Amino acid sequence: MDAHIKKVYVPMTETGFYILLCLQVPNHGYGVVQMVEKMTDGEIRLSPGTMYGSLSKMEKDKLIQFVREEEKRKLYVITELGMEVLQMEKARIKRLYRNSTEVL
Amino acid sequence: MEMTTKQERKFFTITEYDREQEYLSKRHKEGWKFTAVTGYGMYHFEQCEPEDVVYQLDYNIEGNINHEEYTRMFEDCGWEYITTYVGYAYFRKPVADMKEEEEIFFDDSSKLEMMQRIFKGRMIPMFIVFFLYLFWQYLIGYFFEGLFFKVIAVLLGITMTIYILVTVHFGIKYLGHLRRIKK
Repeated sequence: MDAHIKKVYVPMTETGFYILLCLQVPNHGYGVVQMVEKMTDGEIRLSPGTMYGSLSKMEKDKLIQFVREEEKRKLYVITELGMEVLQMEKARIKRLYRNSTEVL
Repeated sequence: MEMTTKQERKFFTITEYDREQEYLSKRHKEGWKFTAVTGYGMYHFEQCEPEDVVYQLDYNIEGNINHEEYTRMFEDCGWEYITTYVGYAYFRKPVADMKEEEEIFFDDSSKLEMMQRIFKGRMIPMFIVFFLYLFWQYLIGYFFEGLFFKVIAVLLGITMTIYILVTVHFGIKYLGHLRRIKK
């Protein structure tokens, strides 16, 4: 993996993480916002400015790719590279979680 | 019934979008709903019920190009698109529609990315003006004479100075923001 990609995306922002997680199934930005709201019992409501910026950045970096347009909404899906980054991030979070539950 | 409208001239530099947001919110609370901004900072309002409304500006050239898809995402999230002016898109959302405080940016890093987009978008015109100025001075020195050419040189000089001041102001603001994040 490109050193640049690793530097920019690991660790990644909460928005970035949820985008990759949700786009394992093709979806649009607002779809991701809705999924995350449901997943977190309404605690996290991602914002459109952040979402739009992250989606275009991730598309440029080839972590996700454009699928098609539906009613003026662009649908994306995760790429192989995106999947790799997601796995790295998941491993990092697991390690964090494991360490946080171990009593010092 | 005829709509009551008013116009107000107000200047914000390219980096003062947060002050601009506050200004528009304040007017809406006073019963003046923002409709457009035209020319050199002419703000248009129409009378409305006073309401607590959050105004937000985004600077995203890519969003301006894919206008329909871009505004669709904001509308989906409950942000009404109002207008676009010199690269900035204007959105608003009533506080009554929010569960808690909401902005169009979820985190500091995406706010920082917007500042970087502004910087890139404005740096290029600044360099163009700067080189035009140098080039013009050179032409005056060697070929042209007369008041007309001097006036143009002065105008270019003023534009360049404004650009430099705005850039310095922006640089200070950007560093401040960066420091806040790093803390």
